[in-house]
Amino acid sequence: MNGSLDALLAGASVWRAREGIAAAQDAKACRPSGWPKLDAELPGGGWPVGTLTELLLAEAGVGELSLLLPALRGIACDTPATTRRWFAWIAPPHAPYPPALAQGGIPPDRLLFIRATRMQDRLWAVEQALRSGSCAAVLAWLDGADDRWLRRLKLAAETGPALTVLFRPLRCRGIGSPAGLRLALEPTPAGLDLWVLKRRGRGPVRVHDALGA
Amino acid sequence: MTARHAIRRKAGPRPGEGLTGDLFAVPLAAAAPLVAPVQRAAPAPRQLWLAVQLTALPLVAAAAADTRPLVIVAGEGSARTLVGCNAVALRAGLGAGLALAAARVRVPGLEVRERDPRLEQRHLARLARWALGLTPLVSVEAPDALLLEVQGSLRLYGGLGPLLERAAAELCSQGYPAALGVAPTPLAALWLARAGTSATAVAAAVESQAGLAGALAALPLSVTRWPARTLEDCTRLGVTTLGELRRLPREGLAQRFTPALLAQLDEVYGQRPAPRRRYVAPERFEQRLELPAELASAAALLPYCGRLLEALEQHLRARDAATTTLAFTLLHRDQRPACVRLGRALPAVAAAEWAGLLRERLEHVVLAAPVRALLLRSGAAVPAGGASGELDGCGGGQSQAEAESFRLLDRLRARLGEEAISGVCLVPEHRPEVAFRSLRPEPRAPRPALADGALPATPRPLWLLATPEPLALRDGQPDCGGALQFESGPERIESGWWEAQAVMRDYYVARTPRGVRLWIYRVRAGAAARCWFLHGVFG
Repeated sequence: MNGSLDALLAGASVWRAREGIAAAQDAKACRPSGWPKLDAELPGGGWPVGTLTELLLAEAGVGELSLLLPALRGIACDTPATTRRWFAWIAPPHAPYPPALAQGGIPPDRLLFIRATRMQDRLWAVEQALRSGSCAAVLAWLDGADDRWLRRLKLAAETGPALTVLFRPLRCRGIGSPAGLRLALEPTPAGLDLWVLKRRGRGPVRVHDALGA
Repeated sequence: MTARHAIRRKAGPRPGEGLTGDLFAVPLAAAAPLVAPVQRAAPAPRQLWLAVQLTALPLVAAAAADTRPLVIVAGEGSARTLVGCNAVALRAGLGAGLALAAARVRVPGLEVRERDPRLEQRHLARLARWALGLTPLVSVEAPDALLLEVQGSLRLYGGLGPLLERAAAELCSQGYPAALGVAPTPLAALWLARAGTSATAVAAAVESQAGLAGALAALPLSVTRWPARTLEDCTRLGVTTLGELRRLPREGLAQRFTPALLAQLDEVYGQRPAPRRRYVAPERFEQRLELPAELASAAALLPYCGRLLEALEQHLRARDAATTTLAFTLLHRDQRPACVRLGRALPAVAAAEWAGLLRERLEHVVLAAPVRALLLRSGAAVPAGGASGELDGCGGGQSQAEAESFRLLDRLRARLGEEAISGVCLVPEHRPEVAFRSLRPEPRAPRPALADGALPATPRPLWLLATPEPLALRDGQPDCGGALQFESGPERIESGWWEAQAVMRDYYVARTPRGVRLWIYRVRAGAAARCWFLHGVFG
């Protein structure tokens, strides 16, 4: 029974609405992550733009910036020099090091660092950055954002084509979130493991050594 | 600022003064003799003066509420008399000119405030700036009137009627009761206005030289504000109106009264030039607003700040100027004043644009004490050419994205503070901690050519610690949550020996047992020689 169903589904005569629609939507609003193993698991083959992406991590420095760097470089190359859009960094836990970012292909004059200690200010700054439409990427570190705010940020993210990544502590793993894509990062001696906790159209999956070849 | 101009009394009729730089004179035959012949035709170009005589300036300056009887007094000792009464006091039967002692008897529990001439002058200067929106020729007639030369503005406003309507409406909305007078000579306009009632209304409008003598004839002599003794002398002669005074033989008047009085008579009828000092507004806007009551919440200040912002907009529009910075000073009764600064990336004019920023900012202001007055100062004025009104057009050569970029920076700065927002540029320097520099983010900054040589050849960590963290040693090897595995290094960095921050380090890339890549170094010389430090995380 199962076997015949699989055979039927594999045939070209069956069109599966869920995947068809999802793929059509993803193709126009995704940006390759630059990591083949990860792209294979992400709907649309990359980071979604114009929505929220959550990266959950136990501590800063486990590889979250290396993970994003190829996509950020891609954005920097794509946007012409005439339309200058910011790479906004909102409340990072340490100072991102501009020479290293420049080595990664991100021009320093596009970097915008926003310091805000109060959570309310951070969330506000994220919303402003998203709604202004003048940011190509918004990277924000939020440890205590409630569901209501996250929904607000999601609506704000949908107003523009910015790559929006929220960095949240690993303890938020069990709590639901409106973000379209959620990943947990886990450094291992063999490389960085990624748990894709939530993605459109497909279930969770673990990607071993995602940044490896 | 303007007090110096405003307090200075009207220039006396000294011959020839009309020829100096910032004075403008009625263009009659120059330097008329002290005693002028009675008939003399006024040549063109003619002028038309609008006098704004404030009828309750002491009361307006006191910014008092109409809840209980209040009077403003001036004078010393037993000569203390009322110069202003609020509505409650008026209803109780008090009036200007009454002795304070008598007023106290009539109304027990009367609140008495001392007149503040300096504050009144500030109000007058403020109105002078408002008047510059109607005509460029404004003169402050201390202590309580303005003179506007409006002949040149008539066409713009579609005649004298609409101009007066607008002036009256704007005075009314700003809360200044005033009487308006119009005449071909400044003094006649002023005297006509003084004969008016206290409500904001046009007391009299005389547009032509021909009608002037008739309109002035019925005015009581009190409008001249001559000294009491002079007025008494006139009464003794049986003269109570200007018309009667003018009919007296000139020789007799010259014997009986001072030359200044005769000169004023000649001025009012346009037989002698009456130079007026032109009011020049200060380039930077500065205005103070006394609050009707002390306010303890920052949100309650917003409408009052809004009023100042509207005055600022008027000030800037009159100059076709804009500004990028503003400072609100919140004045308390006992504490030191607090300052709220606002900045914009692009020059702005409109009150609404500033109000938005201010609202964000005031949300975070905690008042140390109730606020009693506000002071708004603008930064340097810049030409309004690039101001935000034109952002969306193509004139500025500025894209929509750039405009949004500016707005985002403004909003962030207004709420989080100037120092919370920064951009960055690279510095060709070997010491890692000084290889970049923070700067004010600038959406329009030219993209600097990034020379390949400017970047280090070896990989740098994406996170750099603000201060390097000392690493513990285990068995002589650095340790960070377990023994570190060295991946690459050493990279020797020796630099800055000519400065205090000399650097002599060997850098390594090492991996923790959990798989996090670190950038660590060992100090080669000095006090901390051979110590290990964590400087960055590859992230």
